[in-house]
Amino acid sequence: MPVAASAIYFLNLRGDVLINRLYRDDVGGNMVDAFRMHIMQTKELGTCPVRQIGGCSFFYMRISNVYIVIVVSSNANVACAFKFVVEAVALFKSYFGGAFDEDAIRNNFVLIYELLDEIMDFGYPQNLSPEILKLYITQEGVRSPFSSKPSDKPVPNATLQVTGAVGWRREGLVYKKNEVFLDIVESVNLLMSSKGSVLRCDVTGKILMKCFLSGMPDLKLGLNDKIGLEKESQLKSRPTKSGKTIELDDVTFHQCVNLTRFNSEKTVSFVPPDGEFELMKYRITEGVNLPFRVLPTIKELGRTRMEVNVKVKSVFGAKMFALGVVIKIPVPKQTAKTSFQVTSGRAKYNAAIDCLVWKIRKFPGQTEPTLSAEVELISTMAEKKSWTRPPIQMEFQVPMFTASGLRVRFLKVWEKSGYNTVEWVRYITKAGSYEVRC
Amino acid sequence: MAMHGMRGLSVFISDIRNCQNKEQERLRVDKELGNVRTRFKNEKGLSPYEKKKYVWKMLYIYMLGYDVDFGHMEAVSLISAPKYPEKQVGYIVTSCLLNENHDFLRLAINTVRNDIIGRNETFQCLALTMVGNIGGREFAESLAPDVQKLLLSSSCRPLVRKKAALCLLRLYRKNPDVVNVDGWADRMSQLLDERDLGVLTSSMSLLVALVSNNHEAYWTCLPKCVKTLERLARNQDIPQEYTYYGIPSPWLQVKTMRALQYFPTIEDPNTRRTLFEVLQRILMGTDVVKNVNKNNASHAVLFEALALVMHLDAEKEMMSQCVALLGKFIAVREPNIRYLGLENMTRMLMVTDVQDIIKRHQAQIITSLKDPDISIRRRALDLLYGMCDVTNAKDIVEELLQYLSTADFAMREELSLKAAILAEKFAPDLSWYVDVILQLIDKAGDFISDDIWFRVVQFVTNNEDLQPYAAAKVKEYLDKPAVHETMVKVSAYILGEYSHLLGRRPGCSPKEIFSIIHEKLPTVSTTTIPILLSAYAKILMHGQPPDQELQNQIWAIFNKYESCIDAEIQQRAVEYFALSQKGAALMDILAEMPKFPERQSALIKRAEDAEVDAAEQSAIKLRAQQQTSNALVVTDQLPANGAPPPVPVGALTLVKVPSMTSDEDHSSTDLALSHENGILSKVDPQPPSADLLGDLLAPLAIEGPPGATVQSEHNSVSGLEGGPDAVDGSAIVAIEEQTNTVQPIGNIAERFHALCLKDSGVLYEDPYIQIGIKAEWRAHHGRLVLFLGNKNTAPLVSVQALILPPAHLKMELSLVPDTIPPRAQVQCPLEVVNLRPSRDVAVLDFSYKFATNMVDVKLRLPAVLNKFLQPISVSAEEFFPQWRSLSGPPLKLQEVVRGVRPMPLPEMANLLNSFRLMISPGLDPNPNNLVASTTFYSESTRAMLCLN
Repeated sequence: MPVAASAIYFLNLRGDVLINRLYRDDVGGNMVDAFRMHIMQTKELGTCPVRQIGGCSFFYMRISNVYIVIVVSSNANVACAFKFVVEAVALFKSYFGGAFDEDAIRNNFVLIYELLDEIMDFGYPQNLSPEILKLYITQEGVRSPFSSKPSDKPVPNATLQVTGAVGWRREGLVYKKNEVFLDIVESVNLLMSSKGSVLRCDVTGKILMKCFLSGMPDLKLGLNDKIGLEKESQLKSRPTKSGKTIELDDVTFHQCVNLTRFNSEKTVSFVPPDGEFELMKYRITEGVNLPFRVLPTIKELGRTRMEVNVKVKSVFGAKMFALGVVIKIPVPKQTAKTSFQVTSGRAKYNAAIDCLVWKIRKFPGQTEPTLSAEVELISTMAEKKSWTRPPIQMEFQVPMFTASGLRVRFLKVWEKSGYNTVEWVRYITKAGSYEVRC
Repeated sequence: MAMHGMRGLSVFISDIRNCQNKEQERLRVDKELGNVRTRFKNEKGLSPYEKKKYVWKMLYIYMLGYDVDFGHMEAVSLISAPKYPEKQVGYIVTSCLLNENHDFLRLAINTVRNDIIGRNETFQCLALTMVGNIGGREFAESLAPDVQKLLLSSSCRPLVRKKAALCLLRLYRKNPDVVNVDGWADRMSQLLDERDLGVLTSSMSLLVALVSNNHEAYWTCLPKCVKTLERLARNQDIPQEYTYYGIPSPWLQVKTMRALQYFPTIEDPNTRRTLFEVLQRILMGTDVVKNVNKNNASHAVLFEALALVMHLDAEKEMMSQCVALLGKFIAVREPNIRYLGLENMTRMLMVTDVQDIIKRHQAQIITSLKDPDISIRRRALDLLYGMCDVTNAKDIVEELLQYLSTADFAMREELSLKAAILAEKFAPDLSWYVDVILQLIDKAGDFISDDIWFRVVQFVTNNEDLQPYAAAKVKEYLDKPAVHETMVKVSAYILGEYSHLLGRRPGCSPKEIFSIIHEKLPTVSTTTIPILLSAYAKILMHGQPPDQELQNQIWAIFNKYESCIDAEIQQRAVEYFALSQKGAALMDILAEMPKFPERQSALIKRAEDAEVDAAEQSAIKLRAQQQTSNALVVTDQLPANGAPPPVPVGALTLVKVPSMTSDEDHSSTDLALSHENGILSKVDPQPPSADLLGDLLAPLAIEGPPGATVQSEHNSVSGLEGGPDAVDGSAIVAIEEQTNTVQPIGNIAERFHALCLKDSGVLYEDPYIQIGIKAEWRAHHGRLVLFLGNKNTAPLVSVQALILPPAHLKMELSLVPDTIPPRAQVQCPLEVVNLRPSRDVAVLDFSYKFATNMVDVKLRLPAVLNKFLQPISVSAEEFFPQWRSLSGPPLKLQEVVRGVRPMPLPEMANLLNSFRLMISPGLDPNPNNLVASTTFYSESTRAMLCLN
């Protein structure tokens, strides 16, 4: 396995080191100064996550107000390094109760050092699973061996679990109420021309699960995807139902999914880890249902005036509604005055991002609100550079709607004791980069 | 200040300061810019207060590094506001945001002018500052007279006049043609009488700019400058606020001395004496103290004083004092001071007579060569290089050689080059030189350029007594186990040529030499292998009768390389193999290399080129005068060994081709000689008179394909031997020996060759002067007119033209004026009478002086033989009897000119025409022959008929 990191640094936005850990001594302790000098304090920041300075490579990533920088001097595996960072952040979040920022780091120095020691060894990533690490890296105080009362709970044996047949699940879990939560979260990426033709469109989705199940349950998930359905119809030798089938690309599963069974029977069956995890990820490029259509007309009237008309049409079911819709319509940098007329929501000009920002809190299906704005520009000294017309951007969330049309057909739980389970399923579609050229 | 009460502005600034990072700052700035845009666009307009506030914000944002491309109109309009706070922000923002090319500035010109001529001092100051900062052409055109008036006005306070002087300085620097400074000399000298030091300092800055452009007009200011300096140095009447660490206004002192350096010299003995007293005082009074600021100030004054001393060519005593002072400096620990000391000592070297004094500090300078600071090491190297002469060359070069092995890689190349040059320039004896260079190659082979080892080879080749020594020496080096490739090259070459001279020494038999060289073959690159092959061939040649075993060995090697991928190696292998089988013929062909023609060392030339960017301009001029004398040291040594007349030399091998004459019947002769590629051979013409043709064809030969054997044949028959004056073989005058600092434009030789064929054209051109020529020829009389054109705006002085006529020409040059006014052309008629035929060429020795630059060129005048020819046409009946009546050499000559590019007949005919030979077509039955005829005129002989 390739080296993933020689050192890891956590910096705040000013570039101060919050915490760091050197894993190998092939990089100097002051390498982070180079990062500060050559990346943070220049315009380079944010352009490329991998930079080489001197003999060292810097991989960096910003999460809330913390920069996480990995320094390596050998030929390292970049993907592995980034995956490590992402997983480490997820781990920290699960320890800190969801938040990962400068304050959280400052409040948990000791814990972070302990975790950093555990999750990477001499530059090679180790076990990053929160469930397992939580067994022996705990936030509770350490009990003194001389204390009179021995602990009631048996000390969980991490080694046994990690090396056992089901590495990700502890035995002997008991819940009073057996529940499974299933969330299908999709984000839509779109680039559309001003004429309304789709230039690029795809959906990335993931299925998140939260399990509170006793014992060692075996779960089976059925979706309306093509492979699964075809297999089923073959087995049962009856024609497929006329319902829509979805073709999933690039499917990746959590390690708990039994891949041999998936390959032979095309069913997703697994013994879930306890608590929250991401069961699978997928991508869809064809047959995407777009939730919104945007029809912009932007006219430049002379050098100092512009007229902007934007119509947004929601094309999902009338009973559904979208939340937190924000439409950002770019305007030239020299915009001086704006006036608006909107049929719903609110609009204003934001000089910091050079956009007209139109917000609609609740956006019902099958409606088409419009915005018309007049923009006045100030005359400038610079020679008239034609305005590049960046695309209109949109943000939204549509609950109970999937852009891919994916549906859960069944979720079966089988356990020796045969208890009853309650299954909850949610769908949500968000905007990824949803852009329309104008 | 004006900021009072602008709450919005201070809130904005504190917001910016509180930003955690750049991104937040940008967002805040963009938000503010949006706000400002909205406000400026507001129909109701802005109150002056608001306008002022937003323009300040714009400036603040601009200063943070963001683009502000609007609101200039508002800023400019504030200039015309009546109140000070608004006017101030208007002026400040305008001078920050706009540059001289902005159109908006036009709007402001009138307001600015009103402020300048107005009575309000603060407004005047604001306006002058802004104009001084922007200083565009339009401002200069419309405001310069007003500013000048302000500067001279007696009613203004010094504050305003100070600013006016600086403003004028800026306008003058940007557009010297627009600002009218006619008759300003008097006014400047008036200004220099000023008692107020502030005004005086700014006036002095102005004076420096004026004087640098035209020093002659301002000579009246000179005594005033000296007086100022005296006043400062004696510390009389200097207000407390103008002394800096006890030094009276160092800035003014430096500026005054800078101004004085623009005057060529000081004639008035009184002024000169006063000035020297002052300088003496500065030199004496400066020492190294603890305080850095005081040191900086006093050293600035001191070094300017040193520059002035050097400029004025002071007495020796003073110079030695300067050197002693610098000697103290280079002994100081502080690196900055030591650097300055070394640098200025290097500059001092340019002045004559101080070398001996500097030499006393040699040990100290050599210590500086080991300084941890590389810039000090470089300066020390420069200084050592500069101070080297015959007496201390041995020490210095040996020191450099020693230092070479420990020196920085960054410096080694420079170091080795300098050591090589010094060794060459000041070698006490040649074997020492060879030793040094071989050591150099041994120690720093990677940094030795080809020029260096070429030069050794040249020396060894040209000095017979050196050859055995060099051969023995290189053999020693080659015996070492690891040898640098450059060393292999030199050794192989020298051993190939001269190893036979070692014949009787032990271990120097051809076989042993061969094995020593051959050992290195596997380690060298393809560029070296050809040299090794040549060396083998030479060894083989010297070992006559050949040692059978050695011969077989060498042949095996040649055989091996016959299929080498490198064309050069392959060709050599094939040819040497073929040649070596010819036995005795090898002797002739592979004979020892002839001596190299003397030429300026490529190294010295390179060093001179390098110096142009290293040292200062003024220093170079002085140096150039010395350099010529130094360079002569080298050339002087060699003619003693009897340098042969120049022969063009091919790259490495040279085969002498015996001159061939073919029969009269023009049958092209096949030469049975194997021609080596890359050989440019020229037939040595036997009769001197025919050489002219060869000379004229020489420029063509350059373009000819090498080794081309196309012959253009001339039956050159001449009656020219009428004057059997047996001219010296070398009639060519060396022209470019002088190392002039002024480079001629175009090739002088080419211009001369062109003029041999034409009657008018340019003879010589350099950046200052152009010499044109126009000639008329009739019989043996000629009338030339020289056009001397000054290309500059300054006059050329001490113009001298001297004709050095050869014996056969009588030449009379009318008077040449001593000065040529700016941009003028002077005509000088020149009468020429041809007395006898000869190949000699008249030489014009032309010299002039531009500024301090003395230029001296020697130019060949195109009054050559063919100018006195007059074409006549002859009929066939006349031609053949004449032709036959001439009986053999020397009256009838045939010459084959080789190495000339093939030329079509019409072109040949044209060429002959321009030589004033008349072509008679149809005379000869063979269409490939040209027949030409002409008459030759001279005073002593009657007209002669020349047939061709």
